[in-house]
Amino acid sequence: MQTHAAIRRAGGRLSREDQRRLGDILQRVYDDVVRQGVPDRFRNLLGELDGERRESGAAQAAAPGEAEARHTPEPDRFVAAKGLPHDKGSN
Amino acid sequence: MTMRSSVRDAMLAAVPSLRAFAISLSGNVDRADDLVQETLLRAMANIDSFQPGTNMSAWLFTILRNLFRSEYRKRRREVEDTDGSYAESLKSHPEQHSRVEFQEFRVALAKLPPDQREALILVGASGFSYEEAASICECAVGTIKSRVNRARTRLAELLSIDGADDFGPDHTTRAILSAGGRG
Repeated sequence: MQTHAAIRRAGGRLSREDQRRLGDILQRVYDDVVRQGVPDRFRNLLGELDGERRESGAAQAAAPGEAEARHTPEPDRFVAAKGLPHDKGSN
Repeated sequence: MTMRSSVRDAMLAAVPSLRAFAISLSGNVDRADDLVQETLLRAMANIDSFQPGTNMSAWLFTILRNLFRSEYRKRRREVEDTDGSYAESLKSHPEQHSRVEFQEFRVALAKLPPDQREALILVGASGFSYEEAASICECAVGTIKSRVNRARTRLAELLSIDGADDFGPDHTTRAILSAGGRG
């Protein structure tokens, strides 16, 4: 195990202790939000969408764009795990 | 076609962490919640492309990240939103959710390059493995590791943890660091 100073000299790395402390803060900041749970907005949204799908049994209920997207054989560019095109110049 | 309730439950279960990720990325609760909403809509519309048995959470994180990056690029073209001005906006409009003691940390986090910030959050807070984070960010595992390391080093510099032999944070940071156990 290297010493604190040696680690710094070696590559500007942090000591394990510093890493742990940073990690603790990060986790607490993050968990502060996680503890807020699921806002009603999203619970309702998923409930509605679920209901729409069940009722319609097809792609009728959602907005036209959504319905098309659902039947598009290939997922849209945000959903595809392959990322955004690099040359996407204009939006 | 009926969405299985298990799928919906898995999405619901991912929402709190998705929000935390989105807030960390965007620094703004309203934008973050819009991102989460758009993510859920796209996920629902493309649920057929989700492979059952694979990690729902990672799939949703991938969608949200793609949306954020697309929006971020757009915004950068519209306004030259430098890291500095973004950080300042965090200072002047502290978000409701954010406790005062976290503010300095949030500002420092906001100053990180986006690549480093997202890598650090995915691995250091969301609980993803390096491999999962690499898949979400569509890069090599080694790249994630290096981004996380650089993010930590930079954060430490920004929070004045780096430098002297003894721990040298002055004001709020020391309070944050020593506040340790309190939840």
